[in-house]
Amino acid sequence: MGKVIVVTSGKGGVGKTTSTANLGTALALLGKTVVLVDADVGLRNLDIVLGLESRIVYTSMDVIDKQCELSKALVRDRRVDGLTLLAASQKNNKDDIQPAQMKAICDKLRSTHDFVLVDSPAGIERGFSNASAGADEAIVVTTPDVSAIRDADRIIGLLQHARIEPINLVLNRFSPELVGNGSMIDQEDVIDILNIDLLGIVPEDTGVITSTNRGIPLVYEEGSEGGQAYMRIARRITGQQIPIPAFDQKGLFTSIMNWFTRKG
Amino acid sequence: MSISIRQLFGRKPKSSSIAKQRLKLVITQDRFDVDDRVVTRLHHELIEVLAKYFEFSMDSVQISLKPEGNSYVLVADFPYKKAHDVSMNR
Repeated sequence: MGKVIVVTSGKGGVGKTTSTANLGTALALLGKTVVLVDADVGLRNLDIVLGLESRIVYTSMDVIDKQCELSKALVRDRRVDGLTLLAASQKNNKDDIQPAQMKAICDKLRSTHDFVLVDSPAGIERGFSNASAGADEAIVVTTPDVSAIRDADRIIGLLQHARIEPINLVLNRFSPELVGNGSMIDQEDVIDILNIDLLGIVPEDTGVITSTNRGIPLVYEEGSEGGQAYMRIARRITGQQIPIPAFDQKGLFTSIMNWFTRKG
Repeated sequence: MSISIRQLFGRKPKSSSIAKQRLKLVITQDRFDVDDRVVTRLHHELIEVLAKYFEFSMDSVQISLKPEGNSYVLVADFPYKKAHDVSMNR
């Protein structure tokens, strides 16, 4: 029986879809069977971030409308074994799906996969209720800025109310340099404010832009800091104890990396 | 240059600490779902009760909500002039 994890944030543009695509791919690279569910009906993007947009035939809406079997609607990612996508309908809107219908889909998917990652739309309305309806656990993605953190706190409250736990945090677009000169809230402060466990930190990585342009998740790119961070997070999701590297001081991460490369 | 010198002397707080303070306050209000009317009513009712025991000026009373660790503290500040003699009221 697999786990259903909703990836959510409240605020848009903080990296939910990028995180879902990368964590899903990373988990598959670690040998897990994974299905990624795009819950952003009407504004789907997970397909294009994964580079699978040209291969979508059916969506979750077709499954709900009994136009096709659930297994037939899953698009296989040919680059890695065990990764599939259930796309969202682009022609419908969030109100066309009920939370109970999403829950039924997630429950079915969990019986055949190790992980079901649901990419939630931004906001706290129906799209969020649908995305979290079938979830056991949640990953809240935030960036270290005031609006994203405030919205993350709101979403955490709603997840707690829905008794979804654990709720883990991914701190995205983190810049050790900005933290070092006092222009960015550091991870301890974010944790102190939000009061949930930190699953991982993804450093700011401009490679995300080219990766999205190409439809190739960062985790495929060796040497990508962002990709390595997502790989570590994926390992933690599978239960491995992987320490979070110290990004907190200016240049410290670089010096640690240098130390490792010198050793290796 | 002038900014970094000011920061050196601690005159200007780092924007990250300003962000943290502002966030703590706003999140406290969000979590508590603070309704202004609730605070106003509480304010009036507290004054009614307090006036039975203390003499104070009405507009000196301040009520606020402050974060403390993982919970919140309701702080009521009421500088009083003197306490009434409760035995006289009996």
